Amino acid sequence: MKTNIFAFSLSIVICVSAHAELKWDQTMVELHPAASDKQAVAHFKYQNTGTKPVRFKSVRASCGCTAAQSQKEEVPPGEKGEVTATFNIGERTGTQVKTVNVETDDPQHTTTVLTLKAVIPQQLEITPTFVFWGQGEAPKPKTIVVRAAKEFPVKHLKVTSSSPDFQTKVEETGNGQFKIDIEPKETSRQIASTLTIQPEDSQKIFYATARITNAPAIQ
Amino acid sequence: MKSSLVRQALILAALALVPGFVEAIYFRDKISWQSPVPASEMVTAAQARAWGSNAIWVDARPDAEFASDHVPGAVSLNEDRWNELLPQVLAVWSPEKKVVVYCSSLSCNASREVARRLRKEAQLANVFVLKGGWEEWLKSKK
Repeated sequence: MKTNIFAFSLSIVICVSAHAELKWDQTMVELHPAASDKQAVAHFKYQNTGTKPVRFKSVRASCGCTAAQSQKEEVPPGEKGEVTATFNIGERTGTQVKTVNVETDDPQHTTTVLTLKAVIPQQLEITPTFVFWGQGEAPKPKTIVVRAAKEFPVKHLKVTSSSPDFQTKVEETGNGQFKIDIEPKETSRQIASTLTIQPEDSQKIFYATARITNAPAIQ
Repeated sequence: MKSSLVRQALILAALALVPGFVEAIYFRDKISWQSPVPASEMVTAAQARAWGSNAIWVDARPDAEFASDHVPGAVSLNEDRWNELLPQVLAVWSPEKKVVVYCSSLSCNASREVARRLRKEAQLANVFVLKGGWEEWLKSKK
């Protein structure tokens, strides 16, 4: 029994030491970019704690919106370095998770998956971003609700319609919430408008669309 | 001897479960790309083709991939230029149409995200993700 436990412990020790060549500080990085940021960059630091050099075979991001690269192709024993993952935020919202697959010639640890989690702040939540009327439908107003995030207090909203065929009315309903009523002048022809929604004292513009579709009115 | 081996095997199996539990706790908040898309929100290339002109094909891949090739008549909508591209989709949409969103293996979960935003933000009904994406559509063309 004692021999078995010793053999088991020894095998664990051997396995752990064999895996320990390229040691990552962390394989998951959570980023909180500012609302105005265009990119979020994660730095995955590592050290070669083994006795042999480690060569990177490939460093690939899971999708086109993220670029990943390694500082060096080969890491001598004892050396440190990092893999950077640059995530282009674009017009993405909410929590985004992107991965980077790192392949090395370390036979015990050929693939490492690095994870970048970006929590993109959302200044305004607009529901819905699209309102429509069927052709011939009564031109009654439809409502878009706008909620400002707690960390982005908004006192006033400016709403502009790209088409004079739609009228808009903004009303503050309290607790950082607004109601936008959109009313078409008529619904007899197909028309559309882009509504620009801009909080006071902010450069950022948000959008919604209003449209008269070619579908018959739902009575 | 046998019972000792069984006990040790059980101990090893229990130890192997530990990292799994740790990961489950660490990633406890649901992340959309990890959640499978419900079957009711997926559509095969053959089904979507059968919808004919009643389907709006939405290409969620980056601009360069769309410019290189796309499903005939597809409209581009990616999250790099969401605000600029969304009105093009809404311009061809009408309540009776079905929206089929696709991406490729290179653009990972883009179609799921675009479909999710069309449902949640624009509140469109009948939005589907193409099973197998662009690659599957290419296969079904042959």
